[in-house]
Amino acid sequence: MSETSIIGTSVLRPDAYDKVTGGRGFPVNVRLPGMLHGKLLRSPYPHARILRIDTSKAECLTGVRAVLVPSEVPKKKFHPVFFSPGMAASMIPDMLILSDTVRFAGEPVAAVAATSPEIAEEALDLIHVDYEQLPFVLDPEETMKQGAPQIHQHAPNNIAMNPSFAFGDLEKGFEEADYVFENTYQTQRVHTCYMEPRVCVVDSDTFGNLTVWSSTQHLFGLREKLASALDIQVSKVRVVRPPYIGGGFGGKLDIGFIEPISALLSMKTRRPVRIEQTRYEDFITTARNPFKVVLKTGVKKDGTFVARSAKSILDTGAHATHGAVVLMVHGMYGFLLPYRCPNSKWEGFTVYTNNMIGGGFRGYGVPQAAFAVESQIDEICEKLQLDPIEFRLKNSHSEGQPHPFDPSSKLDTYRFADCLKQGAEAIGWSNGRSRARGTGTKRRGIGLACQPLWVSGCVGFPDIYEHSGAVIKLNADGTADLSMATIDMGSGQITTLSQIAAAELGVPAGAVRMTYADTETVPFDAPSHASRVTYSAGNAAKVAAGAAKKRLLEVAGPMLKTTPDNLETGGGRVYVKGAPDRSLPIADVVKQAESPYVRMVPDGMQRTSLQEKGTVIGVASLAPTANPSPATAEFVEVEVDTETGEVKVLRVVYAHDIGRVINPAGAEGQVEGGFQQGMGYALMENLVFDQENGACLTADFLSYKMPTALEMPPEIKSVFIESNEPTGPFGAKSLSEPCAIVPAPAIANAIYDAIGVRIRELPITPEKILTALGKLSE
Amino acid sequence: MKRIINLDINGQAHEVAVGPHYTLLQVLRDELGLLGTKKGCDTGGCGCCTVLVDGKAMYSCMIFAMATQDRKITTVEGLADNAVLDPVQQAFIEAGAVQCGYCTCGMIMTTKAYLSSVGSHVPDDLEARRAIAGNLCRCTGYQKIVDAIRLAASRRIVAGSEKG
Amino acid sequence: MPSAAVKEFLQPSSPQEVVELLVKYRERALVVGGGTFLHGIIARGLLGQMDVLIDLQKVGLSYVKYEHDTLCIGATTTFAELAASERVQNSPELGAVLDALCYPPAQIRNMATVAGCVASATPLFDLPVALMALDGAVRAAGPKGSREIGLHKFYLDYFEHVLERTELITEILVLRQPSRSASAFLKLETNANDLALLNVAVRITVDKKGTCRDARVVVGGGIGKVPVRAVSCEDVLKGQYPTAALLKESGNVVAFDIHPVSDYRTSAKYRSTVAKVFVRRALLRALDRLGMQLDEPS
Repeated sequence: MSETSIIGTSVLRPDAYDKVTGGRGFPVNVRLPGMLHGKLLRSPYPHARILRIDTSKAECLTGVRAVLVPSEVPKKKFHPVFFSPGMAASMIPDMLILSDTVRFAGEPVAAVAATSPEIAEEALDLIHVDYEQLPFVLDPEETMKQGAPQIHQHAPNNIAMNPSFAFGDLEKGFEEADYVFENTYQTQRVHTCYMEPRVCVVDSDTFGNLTVWSSTQHLFGLREKLASALDIQVSKVRVVRPPYIGGGFGGKLDIGFIEPISALLSMKTRRPVRIEQTRYEDFITTARNPFKVVLKTGVKKDGTFVARSAKSILDTGAHATHGAVVLMVHGMYGFLLPYRCPNSKWEGFTVYTNNMIGGGFRGYGVPQAAFAVESQIDEICEKLQLDPIEFRLKNSHSEGQPHPFDPSSKLDTYRFADCLKQGAEAIGWSNGRSRARGTGTKRRGIGLACQPLWVSGCVGFPDIYEHSGAVIKLNADGTADLSMATIDMGSGQITTLSQIAAAELGVPAGAVRMTYADTETVPFDAPSHASRVTYSAGNAAKVAAGAAKKRLLEVAGPMLKTTPDNLETGGGRVYVKGAPDRSLPIADVVKQAESPYVRMVPDGMQRTSLQEKGTVIGVASLAPTANPSPATAEFVEVEVDTETGEVKVLRVVYAHDIGRVINPAGAEGQVEGGFQQGMGYALMENLVFDQENGACLTADFLSYKMPTALEMPPEIKSVFIESNEPTGPFGAKSLSEPCAIVPAPAIANAIYDAIGVRIRELPITPEKILTALGKLSE
Repeated sequence: MKRIINLDINGQAHEVAVGPHYTLLQVLRDELGLLGTKKGCDTGGCGCCTVLVDGKAMYSCMIFAMATQDRKITTVEGLADNAVLDPVQQAFIEAGAVQCGYCTCGMIMTTKAYLSSVGSHVPDDLEARRAIAGNLCRCTGYQKIVDAIRLAASRRIVAGSEKG
Repeated sequence: MPSAAVKEFLQPSSPQEVVELLVKYRERALVVGGGTFLHGIIARGLLGQMDVLIDLQKVGLSYVKYEHDTLCIGATTTFAELAASERVQNSPELGAVLDALCYPPAQIRNMATVAGCVASATPLFDLPVALMALDGAVRAAGPKGSREIGLHKFYLDYFEHVLERTELITEILVLRQPSRSASAFLKLETNANDLALLNVAVRITVDKKGTCRDARVVVGGGIGKVPVRAVSCEDVLKGQYPTAALLKESGNVVAFDIHPVSDYRTSAKYRSTVAKVFVRRALLRALDRLGMQLDEPS
């Protein structure tokens, strides 16, 4: 069995059996004896000072064991984001566990731990809070004006960040342009909608050591940020790796309020405390925040970019959380880097408002940028009568050229052109586009959008952790236990890492099991985010497996009467290179390594070798040396009902330079799931708030519209281009975010192709379509 | 005021003390330790809590436990026969329909009920989608779940014909 | 999680017993059909002083039967049970009911009851609008006996109908429809598990030549406090032979009868615009059930 029989095979997920029979491993199922239940009291006002909190009645309620108020929490501000060190200069520490100034409707003000969730809920009603309401601001442009309520002392005009970058000579560029396009694009606030709620259990001992179970995307980040929020040493916190979690998508990349609150309640009560958020609470806990993007683009009549400028305003809500990094990723990977242009400028604003806080969500600032950039390219092509594929190729990077972010490295593998070509062929691009628009009620169109540049992890980005580790040890039955801090949030991380380790070791795919880990037993891994696990964590798994394999061959050499460098592994066996009949099962080699040095045999004692004794183990902890870019093109066909404005997606083709597919079914699953999220973003998802008081109007699944199976197209075709990236494990690069970034602009462009109207604001609702068509009646 | 009620879950009798407002979901998870049925929203909007009541798919977060006393409740724990998976469970694994898995048990219960209601019919793409319209998934885009439903349905034909 | 404020969960075994309990508990009582609507009320903390739930499962009101020519639907008949009934499946005149019942997902269809849906008195629901197009009625039992109220007179306001606190809906009645009638229902929704942004139910009755003798057009969804009978649309059709142009004209006048609202989901203008389209399309669908196909104007 060669490497190719594992890599590139749709190995069944090892965790699937557990999940179809009940799914015991979800953090929401963690139950500890004596466990108490916590609930949070949340502010009804978007901006207020707490004058007084009276918890006396709540404390008297039978079953209440502890109450927590702002005066009891550490006063040192922190930032909650996992992937960046606590003291990172680019991050903005502006949060407290509980504050006596609330800055968004729903911000926690107090908490209760009780013997049942119902009693805790009842206790909340007995807490009396005197608020002094303050003026509030919900609009991201109003918030920057003179006279707007000041939300944080450290940010005049509520501007948390205002970076800008310029290259070349923008003015000259616009002078040279044959055409200049100026357009403004607006995106909405949407929720991550992971199906398992945010939940945690924190246990403590008398020395203040904490053990934490949480539905989280980062084991070590939770440890660090919890310690930081509580102002205790990192070694006092142990986070247990869940076997898997019920979805994350970037929405569980920070400590919510629940972990620190649970910890403090646990330390107060000397009991484990569990807090599970309701779906309502989840809706107001994390979001992809809205961006306004103003683009000014100058092109030659042949479509060459000569000048590009953009201004982006990110409404980060009441606390910065991810706002600093989302802004930069948006500016870099959303605007400046994906295409070539000699003269460009980007200016970004992360602004505070009294809206809810944001978090990460697949694409991390770039879905908002891609909507703008890819829509405008389509507008430019329409006006200049240029082919949208040729236009992009003309302005794109090429394989072998310096990487636009880090010119000291090259785009070793970069098949953007192939993505466009193969995707176009699969959807029938030339036929579809040349078809007349038609005059019937239902009109069809095809649209294209790309993400020409992306990341495989975070190496090279300031203030973002990027290193991974793994421990793998072989068992005497030929299996191997792989221990890593990596979180599987559904994207198949366990499967991928097991496959990579198995292929490297030379054992069957099912022989590697992902096993127990916590922050005390395994090396650091960065979060499951930034499309990094296959490339970065996969690399660590491969290197660890390689180390174990090296040890294995050292033991096997004498057994097969040869030297280790003359051996190879495959199919669960060690064999002599060139002489496959001279082989041994790996299990036997491991047995040999673990068996006693001296054994009894019929005629006495027999010595083996001391040197071969020990666990066959491999350990790795390292940073990747590169950050290769995948590339993506998506083609979508839609049908628009011009009488109701309803849009149906008919077909999707997604082409992606992936380097190497580790698991085809898993890779397709990423594309298909990414399309659901991108389509929801394009057509229906919207977190809506009452502008009078900041209350969320769409905090359940009936009012927050997300695509069901019926809204999805019957066909999503994935085309994977394998460019064999030399730095990636078995040639792999990343996948999972671009497929959620490109659907919205592809759909917007398809709608334009169908009905000739441009909508520059998401979501593109039926009402907006009828309005743009001039069909709304009085 | 709690009252003792008797529930028939997966063919087993359970005696449990419940308050009048307790939902079936709450009883399954918090009182009986049957954790396969999930809470995704608690408001009948996501389908993660789907169980079968007298063979019909329902949102257990919306059913009062007291109302289920004389009915047969089936949860995901009642499907597999020790290590032998129900064909629907098997199909979900093989079709790659399981990602994070949180919606999976609800999807499987809905699928079970749907397939028992359509005899030997193998649903087309639209019918399969309609069958799970009340179950949300954020990971898979539903594509491979639809594949799993059709796979399970088509296998019934083969199994049926093998029985002669 | 439902509020711990619920004190009692009672399961009476006859409609008479229910009425007795309603008389006994008055403002504290709340009747539970499938529980799907009730659950939302409880989850939003809107129970107020209602802390006694009266479950109807055992009162024997799950049936679909005919009394003379009237379709009598027992109050606790579920959507799925009604949709599966042979008459509803095969009668063009009941098409609107079948259409309305097919929109919700399986779980709702298995739980929601016909009377629960009607009693909720929200115009955002579908079945009441369909039943109104068929001149449906409610039969209610109370301490003073039983009475029937036509659905057009049943609703007063959001969440408010004419029944007393002590009355219980026992049946929904659909009288025999005029011969050569067909009905249809359309719902405008954002995704497959949604309350109507707008919905339309129509019934059209033709003579032997196909000329329209009578029509009903009812509009619901976000169009105001109660579903509206769009008489202007009906008047356009009466006495005329249905053509594509006539249907379009009928749709266009719906604006005279409805006063849609603007909310965070969509605007009044959008609802008005689509109402015109949906009246037309629903009429087409109903006519199709009569075997009358019209060419759509392009």
